Amino acid sequence: MILPTFELHQPSSLAELRAICTGLETTGESYDFMAGGTDVLPNYKNRINARSHVISLSKLEGCNTIAVDRIGALASLTDIARHPELGRHYPGLVEAAGQVSSPPLRNMGTLGGNLLLDTRCYYLNQSEFWRASKGYCMKADGDVCLVVPQKEICYATYSGDLAPVLLTLDATLHFHDIHGQDEAAERSVPIREFYALDGIQRFHKAPGELLTAISIPENARQLRTGYHKLRVRDTIEYPVMGVAMALSSKAGKIERLELAVTGAEAIPIHYGDLGFTGRQIDDGCADELRAALCSRVQTYRNVPFPPSYRKAMAGEFAGDLLMKLGD
Amino acid sequence: MSQNDLPPHAHEHPRQKHGLIGKRLPLVDAWRKAAGQAVYTDDIHLPGELVGKILRSPHAHAKILSIDTSEALAMDGVHCTLIGKEAPNSFGVLPVSQDETALAVDKVIYLGENLAAVAADTEEIALEALSRIKVEYEVLDSFLDMEQSCREISDDLKIHSKVVGNTNIHKEVHQDFGDVDKAIAEAAWTKTQRFLMPGVTHAFTEPMCTLAWFNADERLTLWSAQQVPHYLQRALAKVLEMDMHRIRVVRPTVGGGFGGKSDPFPHEMVAALLSRKCKKPVRILFDREEVFYSNHGRHPSKIQMTLAIDKDHKISGMDLDCLIDGGASGSFGVVTTYYNGVLANGPYRLPNFRYHGRRVYSNRPPSGAMRGHGAVNTRFAYEVLIDEACADLGEDPRDFRLNNALEAYTKTINEFRITTNGVVECIERATEAAGWKDKFGKLPHGHGIGMACGFYISGSALPIHWDGIPQSTVHLKIDIDGGVTIHSLAAEIGQGSDTMLAQIVADVLGLPIHYCRVFSEDTDTAPLDLGSYSSRVTFMAGNAARMAAENMRKLLVAAAADLTGYPSEHFVMEEAQVVNATMPEVRVDYMEALKRAMKDCGALQSSGAYQAPPMGGKFKGAAAGLSPTYSFQSFVVELSVDPLTCKPKLHEIWAAHDCGRALNPLAVEAQIEGSVHMGLGQVLCESFDYNKANVLNPNFLDYRTLSPTETPAIHPILVETMDPEGPFGAKECGEGPLLPILPAVANALHDAIGIRFYEMPITADKIYRAVQKQKKLARRNLVQG
Repeated sequence: MILPTFELHQPSSLAELRAICTGLETTGESYDFMAGGTDVLPNYKNRINARSHVISLSKLEGCNTIAVDRIGALASLTDIARHPELGRHYPGLVEAAGQVSSPPLRNMGTLGGNLLLDTRCYYLNQSEFWRASKGYCMKADGDVCLVVPQKEICYATYSGDLAPVLLTLDATLHFHDIHGQDEAAERSVPIREFYALDGIQRFHKAPGELLTAISIPENARQLRTGYHKLRVRDTIEYPVMGVAMALSSKAGKIERLELAVTGAEAIPIHYGDLGFTGRQIDDGCADELRAALCSRVQTYRNVPFPPSYRKAMAGEFAGDLLMKLGD
Repeated sequence: MSQNDLPPHAHEHPRQKHGLIGKRLPLVDAWRKAAGQAVYTDDIHLPGELVGKILRSPHAHAKILSIDTSEALAMDGVHCTLIGKEAPNSFGVLPVSQDETALAVDKVIYLGENLAAVAADTEEIALEALSRIKVEYEVLDSFLDMEQSCREISDDLKIHSKVVGNTNIHKEVHQDFGDVDKAIAEAAWTKTQRFLMPGVTHAFTEPMCTLAWFNADERLTLWSAQQVPHYLQRALAKVLEMDMHRIRVVRPTVGGGFGGKSDPFPHEMVAALLSRKCKKPVRILFDREEVFYSNHGRHPSKIQMTLAIDKDHKISGMDLDCLIDGGASGSFGVVTTYYNGVLANGPYRLPNFRYHGRRVYSNRPPSGAMRGHGAVNTRFAYEVLIDEACADLGEDPRDFRLNNALEAYTKTINEFRITTNGVVECIERATEAAGWKDKFGKLPHGHGIGMACGFYISGSALPIHWDGIPQSTVHLKIDIDGGVTIHSLAAEIGQGSDTMLAQIVADVLGLPIHYCRVFSEDTDTAPLDLGSYSSRVTFMAGNAARMAAENMRKLLVAAAADLTGYPSEHFVMEEAQVVNATMPEVRVDYMEALKRAMKDCGALQSSGAYQAPPMGGKFKGAAAGLSPTYSFQSFVVELSVDPLTCKPKLHEIWAAHDCGRALNPLAVEAQIEGSVHMGLGQVLCESFDYNKANVLNPNFLDYRTLSPTETPAIHPILVETMDPEGPFGAKECGEGPLLPILPAVANALHDAIGIRFYEMPITADKIYRAVQKQKKLARRNLVQG
């Protein structure tokens, strides 16, 4: 399968990128940003919402540095997975990064790309021929959702591995506005306010905004973090259910609990503590947490494994993480 | 095993050494492949070549009312278009199922079927041209499940004209041996169980690729990723209405076949037709989705098996019913229909056997032959039921299998001629290596061990086209450079057949293997060989190669005799010398003997051939499953089930296989490992999924073959039974080793968690559901006390 024709731009500075974007916008041409390309290009091959210009971020300098409190959006998933200091403070984050797809794709894939990953669905991630023969869905070229037949909301599944962990850590996303006067200015959005429940819109980001970094608050270091991912094989898989937990406990009692889920709905969902703060961590508590999360998670028949199993696994993962992370 | 244990062979001095047989040799084409220098079809480029693209049907079943290609043809850069009516001659791999055409003619019969084609300067132009072809359809009711295809229908809903009565059943088979009803009535243990297996596909790495050049001298050369160049040559002759001798089929390096490149394919016809029409070379390269539509993979199967065990714990009878989905065309399907039944006649004694097999047409991508052809799904059912019987009867499944094992040199109830048989040794060695007696039934909950056996043909004794000529012929040529050119049409598809030929010839001639060069690509130069399917190549082409090499040796030995004055019967060949075996100091250098032998005739030539001996019964269908010898297997699997997700994790596999004689143990082990890996995919995660008429997962992200990450340690155990008819005792090793792995996994799961699975693939969600049900039952039983 060949790529559709598009013009590739490779700016090496923000100033250059701003000029390219402004130029394209003036002539009314559409573009996509591309970091590692591991999500964008397969979709382009399938002719899913392909645009005539692609602006590669691979030559932008200064956006891939990793520190414990701030990670550049262009940091590769491999670098995050292998970062010793991140691993010490946020084992859940490096576990999640290390479980994305396969080594070659982690070398290409970036933090920003993973957070902004497009949603996935059996009816969407197919070739032009397939989608034409089936009837197009509302996310690309059609007007009805083929998972839950209606025309209001797209039910494709969010499949990034890092977002749930960063939701539990209460991270903040930093954006550069290419239309802004000040090249150094950035807009900061708490990750918990970023994602919006719809498989097409997905998040609050204006077209000219570029994700440059995420920051993690210092108090998150007191949390113990973990991530469980459900997948058919142990490699080259998106999560079809992923649960991240951040926990602090004292004398076996939950002090702070943060739960977030990916691979279920159209966006990653932050569930907070589900009312479990203050509870004693024991088997009974874990069982209740299993049931509580399982009853809240929504799954749809549009990725591998039946929805009921994926829901059940959300609960199993939460219970297991609680027992593992509890002191 | 020492060379002195080899079976005696005609025309050979008893002191002739066989130093290369049984040696661990890297495949002769391994270096080029590893260095990226192997030339696949898509690496071949011709001057002025065009890109061929195929328009595919968006409907599962529809009449074609009209096709208008004028707008596509008018485009700049489009050289020609093609529709089905221009080449309506049907073809198919079996003479009885000539039901495929290059492009759909009057109606389309599956979603993704070839409908029209273009040849253009670039892929972009070709794709744009396809989008401008206008087609009008009248959509018909489609047949998407097997039972539906068995119902009475009107003529216009028949997928093909040649069907059973007024249904879409393609082939129906009845066989009945002994008295099955009596065996069941008198059984100490009997059970009837239904099994369900979805379709799976070969998932070879190299997608289909064909390059056709119809030259100015009206000769066609077709380069294609093929297992069977000869059948392709025949089909091209029929579809293009050309003399066969004007058609040359070349098989470049093939990136995997597994049965999926053993039919002549519509796209090969299309490339040839486009090239003839526009007088330029035309290349058709499939993307992965197109490979899924082309399919010809394992048949989706619904199997019902009744097994009867008598009071002495002997298998007393089997009543088998198989309903298999052939998809939209015949392919090898008539053979598959028989194989699903007849290949249950080993490796255990089965005194009473009844079989009802039906293969239906449906509006799905065609099914065909795939590694373990026709034997895999029935084998799963058989071995799982045996395990269940053993659990109920309180007998160790290992001992049960040993007690029921078929003998060597016997005849089955359906008149298979069984010769060498290593099944007992396979069972003993695999279970011994696995520590079976200490583990079976004794591992902690969630951890289990299971076993199963297998039985497979080593080449179909009867050829598809009954011409009465040898099934394999090998020619050798030696010229002044001393190199031995081996000509054969046995297709090297990654399984190592070129290495096997080189090894046998080099061994017989006492030369280092680098003297041999194998030309197995080209129908113009190679003598006929029926190709790489039915696990026939080592046995048949290997025998032909041995005979050709022995005939060549006679010429060289005669020359040495001539030079030295000693009788030629005294000479053997070793270490590039012709040596008088009774007076080893009398020896002639190979090159010296060669020059003398060439004195009057120039380059030396020799030939060897193989044809299976007559065998089998006289009843209808007696030929199906006949083979000059059979391979046997016994595998043990150890695994555990994840307590959280119920995902099965494989720990170790002990795989004992009777290969007759391991000509090249390295290659045999690789075949066993590859078979295990492929079988694990089917039992654990692979399946053709559908959403109505659409294949839901026509790509390698969603159609999941196992990765190295999930592949456990595999311990191949080579059992050598020295088959007297095989080349140096060898039999097949490429397909049989796939059979036992699937049921062995299911049986190990039962040992781990006490649950039986009758549906494949056995995925984590199914295990989880079953475990939850089991827990619920246990709780209820506890409450009810």
